[in-house]
Amino acid sequence: MKAYVPILIVFIFVLGFAVTNIVLSHLVGKRKNTRAKLIPYECGMDPVGSAHQRFSVKFYLVAMLFILFDIEAVFLLPWAVVFRDLIQKLSRPFVFLEMMVFVAVLLVGYIYVWKKGLFEWNRS
Amino acid sequence: MQIENLNLNYGAVAPEIIAAVTGVISMLVDALSPKGARKTNAVISLVGLVLALLAVVRLEPSGSYFGGMVTTDPVRVFFSVIILLVAIIAVLLAGQFLRDEGLPPGEFFTLIMFATTGMLLLASAGDLVTVFLGLEIASITTYVMAGYRRYDVRANESSLKYFLLGSFSTAFMLYGMALTYGATGNTNIAAIRAIIGEGRVEHPALLLIGAAMMLVGFGFKIASAPFHLWTPDVYEGAPTIVTGFMGTGPKAAVFAAFLRVFADGFNVTASPIGAQLQSTWISAVAVIAVLTMTIGNVIAISQKNIKRMLAYSSIAHAGYALVGFVTGDFAPVAFYMLAYSIMSLGAFAVIQLLARAGDQKTEIADYAGIGFETPALSFSLAIFLLSLGGIPPTAGFMSKFFVFKTTWDAAPHYRWLVIAAVVNSIISIYYYLYPIVVMFFRPLAPGFIKPRIATMTTVALILTLVGTFYLGLLPNRLMNALGQGQKAVAIQPRLGDR
Repeated sequence: MKAYVPILIVFIFVLGFAVTNIVLSHLVGKRKNTRAKLIPYECGMDPVGSAHQRFSVKFYLVAMLFILFDIEAVFLLPWAVVFRDLIQKLSRPFVFLEMMVFVAVLLVGYIYVWKKGLFEWNRS
Repeated sequence: MQIENLNLNYGAVAPEIIAAVTGVISMLVDALSPKGARKTNAVISLVGLVLALLAVVRLEPSGSYFGGMVTTDPVRVFFSVIILLVAIIAVLLAGQFLRDEGLPPGEFFTLIMFATTGMLLLASAGDLVTVFLGLEIASITTYVMAGYRRYDVRANESSLKYFLLGSFSTAFMLYGMALTYGATGNTNIAAIRAIIGEGRVEHPALLLIGAAMMLVGFGFKIASAPFHLWTPDVYEGAPTIVTGFMGTGPKAAVFAAFLRVFADGFNVTASPIGAQLQSTWISAVAVIAVLTMTIGNVIAISQKNIKRMLAYSSIAHAGYALVGFVTGDFAPVAFYMLAYSIMSLGAFAVIQLLARAGDQKTEIADYAGIGFETPALSFSLAIFLLSLGGIPPTAGFMSKFFVFKTTWDAAPHYRWLVIAAVVNSIISIYYYLYPIVVMFFRPLAPGFIKPRIATMTTVALILTLVGTFYLGLLPNRLMNALGQGQKAVAIQPRLGDR
């Protein structure tokens, strides 16, 4: 259990930091409420109202693309962390090229969505 | 698993790599050509598929690679050949379909290639993780293909239903895999087999529940009763060629994985838990097989739409193939899936041509009297339907005979299953003959326009027709080859003991 003490300390620190910030801004900060400030999200769907609102599909496409390229970073990071250990056991070009294949596949996806015009927001 | 002895061998996954690279190339060609590249991509896909077929033939006969993730055995080789043949025929048919319907051409071939990659991976999976990966690649691409005619409400319904129920079944599958892993501490199918054989199972109940959930997952994907409810709607709404593709290719691939997990991994009787598991799943599969055949055939009788009728027929055929499972041998199932894929794709190809753009004419009543108006198409359809019904000298007869004979000899406890299957085959003749009667012996329906047949479509039709007769008349060579591969999944002596 002793090993978890630092995590507990970090947890308390984070909690304290968050609470302090909220309390401080509540006490010290000035408030000037405008309509835009009072809605929960500045962009996106209106949270109150009919659920049958039509919503541009572009938002979903952007969200999907974001996830795809986000995943790339998620996979690149552990690879970079274990790279030194891996080249002790497997050949250096192999470890490098394996990840490059992955990046190349993503690059193809990038070219595809680019040529298909997904980055052009104004196109219908 | 040591990282140094993963046994990395790219030759062992050459078919999958070729299919994936071809898919990527066709994607780029499509993106970089502003008007779309129907013909270019059709040619690229065909070349890729033929190369992949050569790579499958050149695989080493057996082996385990990438730390057991990929395995080569006769099951993989035979099912990979079936999958690639299905993909080749689908590509041949796709050209005319895309032009007649005026659909964006490029992505269709990309999707077929990626689906093929997933199916090949499924057939080569030596590990539950690879099974899941292949299943998902193949499923997600077919969900998209089902909704390819995206302005059509029926296609949307089909795609959405397929997606929701497919995800649902995937959840079952994944949960089953997780429980199996929890019980055995391993995801490798060969290792699971060894662990069960030695009786080193942590929690026997977990293993049984895990196997049951995977049975549900596989049951969904092969559309067996009582998990078949999505099939008719999905098959009716999807574009006909997609229906043909997803009723054959993914089904065959899932059968391959099903065989490897159950007829191989869960087929050990050396320990008490192994014997219990084996007798349980074989009884469950036997019940599912009877239910599937009966429900499929009986409901098919009352169908007015030919695509729905063939959807129920596809359910029934999954039941016949499941009969072969009780032998614990892959050969009858592999032969059955090959024959079924060829004749079913042929039938759907003809329906695609007769239905015209947007699948307008798919009621059986629309077929009235067209018999001698388009003799080539109507006679082909008649042959495919008779073959599906199991009339000699076609592939359908030979494959049924092979499955029933093997089961009768190898599993004496399950002879009742064979009798049920034969009774079902007789019932099915009725609804297979009905469209033929309508085509040839009714007055011509008004508004019939003779369909135009493109060269590629003709090639595909000839291929399926030749295949239907070849498997029906000269099945010996293939059966011998399958017989030599039978060692892969040995018949267990205690089979069927309860």
